[in-house]
Amino acid sequence: MLAYHMSGYSGYGVQYSPYFDNRLAVVSGSNFGLVGNGKLFVLDIDMHGKIHESNSFLTQDCLFDVAWNELHENQVLVAQGDGTLRLFDTKLKQYPIAIFKEHQKEVFSCNWNLLSKQTFVSSSWDGTVKIWSPTRQQSLVTFLPHTLENTKNVDITTNVPLSNQKQHEGISRNKNCIYQAQFSPHDPNLVMCCSGNSYTTLFDLRQPAHTGNQQSFLAHSGLEVLTCDFNKYRPYTVATGGVDNTIRMWDLRMVGPNSSPAICVNEISGGHELAVRKVSWSPHHSNVLLSTSYDMTCCVWQDLSADGVKNTGRTNSIDPKQGCRFRFAQHTEFVYGADWSLWGQPGFIASTGWDGNVFIWNGLSLK
Amino acid sequence: MTERLAKIKDHLTAEFSGNVHQTRPDDIVVVSAHRSAIAKGFKGSFKELNTDYLLLQFLKEFFDELPSEISDHKELIGEVTCGNVLNFGAGATEHRSACLAAGIPYTTPFVAVNRQCSSGLTAVNDIANKIKVGQIDIGLALGVESMSKNYAKLNPLGSISEEMKIDPRAKKCMIPMGFTNENVAHMFSITRDEQDEFAANSYQKAEYASSHGLFEDEILPITLQDGTKILKDEGPRKNVTAQNLSALKPAFIKDKGTTTAGNSSQISDGVAGVLLARRSTADNLNLPIIGRYVAFQAVGVPPEIMGVGPAYAIPRVLKDVSLSVKDIDIFEINEAFAAQALYCINKLGIDVKKVNPRGGAIALGHPLGCTGARQVATILRELKSGQVGVVSMCIGTGMGAAAVFIKE
Repeated sequence: MLAYHMSGYSGYGVQYSPYFDNRLAVVSGSNFGLVGNGKLFVLDIDMHGKIHESNSFLTQDCLFDVAWNELHENQVLVAQGDGTLRLFDTKLKQYPIAIFKEHQKEVFSCNWNLLSKQTFVSSSWDGTVKIWSPTRQQSLVTFLPHTLENTKNVDITTNVPLSNQKQHEGISRNKNCIYQAQFSPHDPNLVMCCSGNSYTTLFDLRQPAHTGNQQSFLAHSGLEVLTCDFNKYRPYTVATGGVDNTIRMWDLRMVGPNSSPAICVNEISGGHELAVRKVSWSPHHSNVLLSTSYDMTCCVWQDLSADGVKNTGRTNSIDPKQGCRFRFAQHTEFVYGADWSLWGQPGFIASTGWDGNVFIWNGLSLK
Repeated sequence: MTERLAKIKDHLTAEFSGNVHQTRPDDIVVVSAHRSAIAKGFKGSFKELNTDYLLLQFLKEFFDELPSEISDHKELIGEVTCGNVLNFGAGATEHRSACLAAGIPYTTPFVAVNRQCSSGLTAVNDIANKIKVGQIDIGLALGVESMSKNYAKLNPLGSISEEMKIDPRAKKCMIPMGFTNENVAHMFSITRDEQDEFAANSYQKAEYASSHGLFEDEILPITLQDGTKILKDEGPRKNVTAQNLSALKPAFIKDKGTTTAGNSSQISDGVAGVLLARRSTADNLNLPIIGRYVAFQAVGVPPEIMGVGPAYAIPRVLKDVSLSVKDIDIFEINEAFAAQALYCINKLGIDVKKVNPRGGAIALGHPLGCTGARQVATILRELKSGQVGVVSMCIGTGMGAAAVFIKE
């Protein structure tokens, strides 16, 4: 295991460079990402397995997600708490080369299109998903995914007095917050996003951006969906993770007409003791996925419901024989971000979390 | 910062996010809920009828009320659960046969449930759970009871082993209900006057509701063998006051008792049914949706004061859905006895105006296995669109059950 500690910052996202096998981008926030500066770290792994900072950028607000430009080896995009997306050049110092400002609230995720490479997608607490081109300041299109009918925001101040300050009295829970949006690695026009209202929604960029063209399904029985990912080998398979502590796998062909409850093809329940923060399918195997959780662990799972060719009908559990390939428990705080290395021996994973550590470990070497 | 912190707290607590008003495709909705008139036990209109006959007549009318999408396709009903207390084996055989006679195909399975006075509500919960986990899409919950036919035959102590009779915990289950209520009245100092006042109030509300046609929508006619149709509750009486109830003698403890025939539930016969479906299924079939089942809980309480059941079941179920007593618009709390109902109302701090606005079992009657389903049919007419209601009852041998419904 390799380690790097970001002093004073809590990690939220990490991604391996698609161009250099020893380079990582990590985004973080001070004060656990609740308030204050954010920082983008560009980390290099040297020949001796030491990780050192090759560059870093301080930002005005916390950073929640990161995506390398698939067309430019030195450009990295970050999602910031003040509603902006910023593109940095790792060869430069201090300032971003572009700022994309349209979202009204925290931007929680950004993802570069792996196929067309000309666009990226962002999702925000303001309930929108936006598609951007790095060459344009304005977004290309904005999607409003399935929102709750009868949304009644609950006044949290009656529940837990988190603050006695007057300006915080009107805070309400926004269940339409979109935690993650992803381009399909199989179709450059397909975007998936997941939100606090428990729905996962699919858009096709070729269709006009109104809700009638979306395909939505209730993914985590009313509880928030925090993460989603497309399988890199099976175009119809996606995974979601949520506040119900479960990871669910779906076959998009079985997601029926809008809003009818879909049946998941596999569910890993009890795999994490707290909410699942991130799921990511392996770039090397069609049936391996990674998850991170508030329970301070990362897990590598083998999806038993498919053997890579056909469906087996088997389900997973936390038993190693039943799919739990590896549990990584070195983090001492919530684990937020994790990414598979595309390089070298399959199975290397970088993870980061509130403890400020970036760990690199192999999730497939043992057992 | 506070908002970000609140979000993380939400992720960690994973609580039901406190919005019961949000509609979802996997909601469990009530398509139809009806009941028969409640007839007086031993001397009422149903005194000669077996429960299977009652059930058959009821089901015929129940299906007539439903749109053809379901009444012509009864095979869509994935399960029938019928609550009953007094029949042999909770009526598993005769009630299945009544379902077949009513045109439900033999391919639809049937189950009889008996959780004493909550059997009707337990049937609703049973169907709702099966819909929730995906076993079925549509299900029918029923409750039927003929106390006329079966109450006298019942001897709860008949087949109790000596071991139960001497075990200090076990023998409490054999305490007759009236005595458990005397215990509640005595322990929590509920006076005879309060009880009579409550009972008279129940009579007045029921009499008003009955004479003003407030039950017309929920009551389906039962056709007797001679062709007569029974449409009116037989329990409510005019001019019942606390004063004339106070003249009645205690029924259980002769000298010091406070429980009388006037402030206890009546012995009755009746039947009720609730058709439930998943919202997506109901929408696909264009079925009407009158309300939504939200949650159910049953709890155990000391058998010797079983009447306190609702006081524990209601907070338990409300906690599940992050609601408090003050969020509830109407409570249907079964009035097994005035004292136990009063205890629960006072203990939970419920505004008495919200309780049984059309009267309760003291005035209407308490056909044991039918009651829970009857209350669902009633509360869905009492609530206005968007309002939240709670159905609850105490249960013999020391339990309480409560369920939350929303009118759509």
